[in-house]
This record gives sequence, structure tokens and C-alpha cells, in this order.
Amino acid sequence: MTAVAERARVQQATAKQRRDWLPGYLFISPAVLLFLVFVALPLVAAFGLSLFHWDLLSTPEFAGLDNFRRLVTDGDTIRAVVNTFVFAISSVVTHIGLGMVLALGVHRTMTRGTKYFVRTAYFFPFLISWAAVALIWKYVLDPAFGLANYYLSSTTNWLASPTWALPTLIVVDWWHTIGYTFIILLAGLQTVPAQLHEAARVDGANAWWRFWSVTLPVMSPTIFFATVITFIGAFQIFDPMVIMTQGGPDGATRSIVMYTYEKGFQSFEVGYAAALSLVLFVVIMVVTGLQFRLSRRWVHQ
Amino acid sequence: MKGKLIDLVLVLGGLLMIAPLVWLVVTALSEPIDAFQLPPRWIPRPPTLENFQQVPDLIPFARMAWNSLQIAVITTAGALLTSALAAYAFNRLRFPGRDHIFSVLLAALVVPVQLTVVPIFIMMRWLNLVDTTVAIWLPALVNVFGIFFLRQYIASIPRELDEAAIMDGAGHFWILFRVILPLARPGLTALGIFVFEASWNNFFWPYIFLSSPEKMTLPVGLVALQGAMGGGPAVVLFAAITLVVLPILVLFLIFQRSFIASIASTGLRA
Repeated sequence: MTAVAERARVQQATAKQRRDWLPGYLFISPAVLLFLVFVALPLVAAFGLSLFHWDLLSTPEFAGLDNFRRLVTDGDTIRAVVNTFVFAISSVVTHIGLGMVLALGVHRTMTRGTKYFVRTAYFFPFLISWAAVALIWKYVLDPAFGLANYYLSSTTNWLASPTWALPTLIVVDWWHTIGYTFIILLAGLQTVPAQLHEAARVDGANAWWRFWSVTLPVMSPTIFFATVITFIGAFQIFDPMVIMTQGGPDGATRSIVMYTYEKGFQSFEVGYAAALSLVLFVVIMVVTGLQFRLSRRWVHQ
Repeated sequence: MKGKLIDLVLVLGGLLMIAPLVWLVVTALSEPIDAFQLPPRWIPRPPTLENFQQVPDLIPFARMAWNSLQIAVITTAGALLTSALAAYAFNRLRFPGRDHIFSVLLAALVVPVQLTVVPIFIMMRWLNLVDTTVAIWLPALVNVFGIFFLRQYIASIPRELDEAAIMDGAGHFWILFRVILPLARPGLTALGIFVFEASWNNFFWPYIFLSSPEKMTLPVGLVALQGAMGGGPAVVLFAAITLVVLPILVLFLIFQRSFIASIASTGLRA
């Protein structure tokens, strides 16, 4: 090929490529514009707001790092951070543990009808709005006429007890979202090749050993994914607190988001609310970062 | 034998899972005097619709259902459209900065809405959009996960198909809507169900932005109803909750496969 022909070919190629530029930018522009206005700008603004004292009405007053200093000394914040971690970690343990048991149970051979019922019964609550879930459970847990105390022969006022309120919300959250974990884990379980089990069986491995040496390693990416998603979801918990306990009794169920809401939209300390929401952001970022790093090292690919 | 025992435990657990929902519906169908009796009655006698008729006296239920539907439909259609356009460009078109822009969008997946809500509230107040349904659906029109998900999906569609269309002189709009999207239907359905469900059930955002009953969505309306009732009849609240939960149950039983496929393929938790 001559040099002239070669150059002509290159020019043609770039011209062809350039034809994509305009439609490219055009096609991404709605998403990118909305992204700039409703994600990027608010993110920057949240950092900015956290450096001010502002009640939404008077002129914002520059506060430097006051709001962050307050974060580490405010007992209510520390309590909310602890509550949120307790909630999220308990949520992960109960969701993954019992979700795995459920998935293994349903994955066995079962009659069609049984399988359909069990899958539907555990999954359906996940589709109901937190608002409805929280209201139903508020009545189920009512100390006077609720189902829970009648069948448990108890007189505990679950949501008003400083000891029981947070564990109770963990149980309600489990009821609401176990269907999600269950479906994800079941989908993962279905990817475990039957031949591997067969081979292990031929080698004389019992059920437990097959679970440890075949099922768990093959499922590790799914379990890892479900763990991270459950943790992040639980870490942002807000709805049941605001509907069932208002963060009470005495802050026992106040989560980080609940406290951010109180500061931002009830007492109108917007700067402090922004600083609180940054705590949430940092934790989620760290957990996601860990996911990236650890999944490369631990997870079977 | 052991298998039967495991089945039995799973079924009993399943019954325990649905017990609160059965109680909800039975109570909603009971005469106010019969409701909330202990031991609980699991069969209403005789079933009555009286409680349901009282719901509109306490909250503008139809109006709230309309708001919820309107917001969910606009959000779903809009988010699917912006995501499909962007996903196509990010996968099929070459332009400077493409991969950088995509990385920035993807990185923003870790930004929680609870962080952006404070600045967006201030923005909406400034635009006079607080307590309007626009404040709910407008920020939801961009869905970074949707872009990412559809981009993966479109990448799995062979390029020969659109190359053939380009040879025939087709433009990118035509290729996207006539070639790519019809082939991406399972992906669009999965994403659509997910976005709709998340919008329909959303509590956090509408709770912050909406305050007038006639602007509220159903989840916020239910909570407002509960707060406003005081000593009012709880059976009416139960009837209202039933009206919210029952349609989802019916839809779920009809489209169970798509629902579960949506969760398993998008891997997202609302």
C-alpha cells in the first residue's frame, strides 16, 4: 500500500470516528446534565454546607471545622453511629446466615407446590413498602392487643424498651428484606456445578465436607456481594425508626440517617446535618473500597 | 424422612412469615368490634367492607394512589430512556472522554441519597418545588445503576446487527430504538420492574419533600393517616394498608418470574 493511500485510509477512519462524537455527546447529555445537577452539585454542596452554621433562614455563618468537632463530642452522634453499626452488622449476620440456610433448604428436591409456597412466603414481604411494613409491625408488637405478645405469652413493650427496641427493629428488618438475600443466594447456589458435588461424593466427602469444599468456595462471590449490599442497605436505615420508634426510647434506635433527618429537617441545623451525612458517605465508601480489594484476594473466581 | 422434616420446618417458617399479612387482611375485613380480639380470629365473620369505605373519609386515598402511580410511571419511563440513551453511547459510540465520564458516573454509585437530600432540598426550596410531585421524580430521572446495567446488557448484543443497519444508512436513534432496545427487552423489563417498585415503595424522599395530603404518595399518606388518627379506628388504617399491599401481591403472583428475575439479575436492593 502506498503512503498516500495509507493516509487517505487513516483520514477516512478518523472522519468515520468523528461522526460518532455528536451523537455520543447528545445521547449522554440528558443523563449527564441530570447527574451534574442532582448528584455532583449536591455532593460538592454537602461538603460546603458542612463548613457553615445555617438554619435555612438567616445568613449562613462560616463555621470552619466546628461541625466536625461537634461530631466527635456529641454523645447523640456517637450513640447513633454505634446503633447503626450494631444494626448493620446484626443485619448482615442474620440475613446471610439464615438466608443461606433457607436457600440450601429450598434448593433440595421439593414438590413444586411446596417450593412455590416457600419461595413466595419468604420473598413477598420484600416488595411491600417500609411504610406499610412498619405500620403492620407496630400493631403486631402492640403490648395490649398485638399478636406477638399473645403468642409469646409476654408483656414486654418491645418498642418502648431500651433493651429490646433495637433488636426488635433488626427482626422486623429481617422479615422485610430476607426475601432479597434469599433470592440472591439461591441464584448463586444454582450456579454450583452438579458434577463438582458428584466428584466430591465419589471421593467419599460427606454433606458437610461437600458444603465447605465445594458449595462455599463456588458461592463466595455471591455471598460477598450479598454481604456488602446488605451492609450498605442496613447502614442507611431510616424508615422503621421514624415510623415505629422516632429513634426512641431515649435514642436507643436512633440511626445516623434518622439523626441527620432530625438535625436537617426538624431543628434546621443544616451544616451539622451535612457533616453527619458525610459520615455515612465515608463509611459506605470505605466498605465499597474494601469490597473491591478483598474480593480480589479472597473470593474464588 | 429427613427431607420431609426440612420441608415441614420451611413451610412452618413460611406460614410464620405470612401470618402478619393474613392478620392484616382479616382485621381489615372485620367489624370494628371483632377486630383486635385475643386470641386473634384468623377468619373474619362475617367479612365486611365497611372499613374500606371509611378510608376516603380520613385520607384522599385515590388522590394519593394517583400521585404514587404518576411518580412511578414518570420515573420509570424517564430513567429507562436516559439510561438507554447513555448506555448505547457508552457502549457503541466513540467520543473523546467517554471512558472518563463513565468512570465518574460509576464512582458516584457510592454517594448515598441521604447525603444529597439536604442540598437538593435547598435547591427545590429555591425553585419553589418543595411539596410538589416534581421534586420526587425529577432527581430520579438519572439512574447511574441503570446506565451501568443497560451498558452491560447492550454489550452482549452482537455488533454485526447495528453495523448492518449503518450500512443501510440508519441513524443512531433508529438503531437504538429499532435494533438494540427490542433485543434488550429482558434487561429493560428487569430494570423497569426494579425502578418502578423502588419508586412506588419509596418513603424517605417523599416523606421529606411532601407535606400536603393531596400531594402525598401512598407510603407517606399511610403514615400520616396513622399519625392523624389518634384514638380513631385502627381498622380503617388496616383497610388502607391492605389497599396498598394487595395490588402488589396480585401483581407479584402474576409476574412472579419477572420479579424474581429482576432481583436476581439487577442484584439491587431498594
